[in-house]
Amino acid sequence: MIFASSILQWAGNIYEKYFGFVDFIIRRSERVVEYTANHFSLVITVMFFSLILWISVGLLISRYEKLANTAFGIGNILFVIPSISLFGIFITIPMLGLGRTSAALALILYAMMPMVRNVYRGIKSVEWPIIEAGRGMGMSPKQILFQIQIPIAWPIIFAGIRVTTVMITGIATVATFIGERNLGRFIHHGIARESADMIIAGAVLVSVIAILLDYILGKVEYKITSPGLRKEQEQS
Amino acid sequence: MIVLDKVDKVFPGSNIPAVKQVSFQVDEGNICVFVGPSGCGKTTILRMINRLIEPTSGDIYIKGKKVSDKGLNPDHLRREIGYVIQQIGLLPHRTVEQNVALVPYLLKWPEENIKPRVRELLDMVGLDPDEVAQKYPFQLSGGMMQRVGVARALAADPPIMLMDEPFGAVDPIVRGRLQDEFLRLQKEMKKTICFVTHDINEAIKMGDHIVIMNKGELVQHGTPMEILSEPANSFVKDLIGTEREIKLLELTKSGEIVNKKAEIPETVRQKDCFISVIDPVQRALETMMKKDSDLVGVRDKDQEIGTISWNDIKKLINKLSGDA
Repeated sequence: MIFASSILQWAGNIYEKYFGFVDFIIRRSERVVEYTANHFSLVITVMFFSLILWISVGLLISRYEKLANTAFGIGNILFVIPSISLFGIFITIPMLGLGRTSAALALILYAMMPMVRNVYRGIKSVEWPIIEAGRGMGMSPKQILFQIQIPIAWPIIFAGIRVTTVMITGIATVATFIGERNLGRFIHHGIARESADMIIAGAVLVSVIAILLDYILGKVEYKITSPGLRKEQEQS
Repeated sequence: MIVLDKVDKVFPGSNIPAVKQVSFQVDEGNICVFVGPSGCGKTTILRMINRLIEPTSGDIYIKGKKVSDKGLNPDHLRREIGYVIQQIGLLPHRTVEQNVALVPYLLKWPEENIKPRVRELLDMVGLDPDEVAQKYPFQLSGGMMQRVGVARALAADPPIMLMDEPFGAVDPIVRGRLQDEFLRLQKEMKKTICFVTHDINEAIKMGDHIVIMNKGELVQHGTPMEILSEPANSFVKDLIGTEREIKLLELTKSGEIVNKKAEIPETVRQKDCFISVIDPVQRALETMMKKDSDLVGVRDKDQEIGTISWNDIKKLINKLSGDA
């Protein structure tokens, strides 16, 4: 009996020490739901516009090679600006100010580097004989792009989309400093109040979103990638 | 059928023309083989015919129509011309069926016509449609891929085929088989074919007409027999190599030198030392050696029509090779 109760006590201590954040999440469930929803919707918004914008740019520079280095340069510069200052720059712009628009725009700029680079690399990975055969069969440049280059580039483009999604989910926490009420707020306030439970709660929930999105995207990728390419990857 | 008239091609950024003042004609239903070392301009000529690249000057005509006519959309032109390349270039993300159906789809054939056509084509190139139609290119062997490449080029039944080392990527045994099968197909199809190779033996085997190129210039053209028996210069001689006489024996039919007056001796019958009139003379030689005889009987179907002796072959070699 004594032995069993001591084990229970030990387990209780462990739980309090390391899983206190679970209590926190249950206690503050209303906030958790609100912040998680905000976080999620910000990531989705950013990814939606990033896909449209950066896939187009990636395709454009794969056609007009001269623009490629300029685009990579811009992407790299944007990527190395510390996120907190990029958010800061946006709130100084009139019309934008504190809030979602600024947060979304800054994150879309961050997405440029990994997205554009992977689209370009994917399109360029299509081997010359395949394009030559397409042309020789009488496919127009547009048909070659949509029926050959993009489908073959999918796995590489998708790798870019997945990396970007995970990355944006992480950086979005910083947007709490410019007024976003998302999971970053738990981390921020947790640091201010020296509450490990709050910090861990925020971090774990952010990770859950990232892993969940990556998992879903992985499923989508599997669905839309031709088995002819899938098998090729598995073999090599 | 296909006419080139003083065609030049200078690639941008290069002073040396890749193709210099080349003129020739390919007759309907013929296989015309372009042969020469790499960089001699043979592939460039092929790619100019279907306008993958444009000539710097000169004109190309197909069936009397200038291919560079403004009214002619190059994509539409290419759909009327079969194209096979050495690297094959099958679309890796599409099944064999979809690959073969590529041009019919581009030409917007009705769906119900495409499937049977694909099966017919796969059958024609020696593949089992049930087995390969739903496979992806990476699941095929090199020889099978080449066959699919040929089937794809034939899909819309184009009157003209351009083939750039179509059997180049497979081992010699498979290559020989593919060549034989293609020649058999061609007997029925009677396509007008431009065929590029660097292998003079392949050229002699496949060609009705051979065009020999070097450094962008046309060195000699003619039938395989003409090229072998009268090489224009030392370049052609070197290209043909040392086995010129043997190649000539491959090209000459036994019927051309059969001695019809000679009696067929009993020893020949005993050893079953016979060949057919349509066999090449080389077969006569092989048979003599195998059966240890200096005389072979020649049959036309079942009829015994005469003999070929060792001396007849020697005479032929002396006549064909002349001073060489």
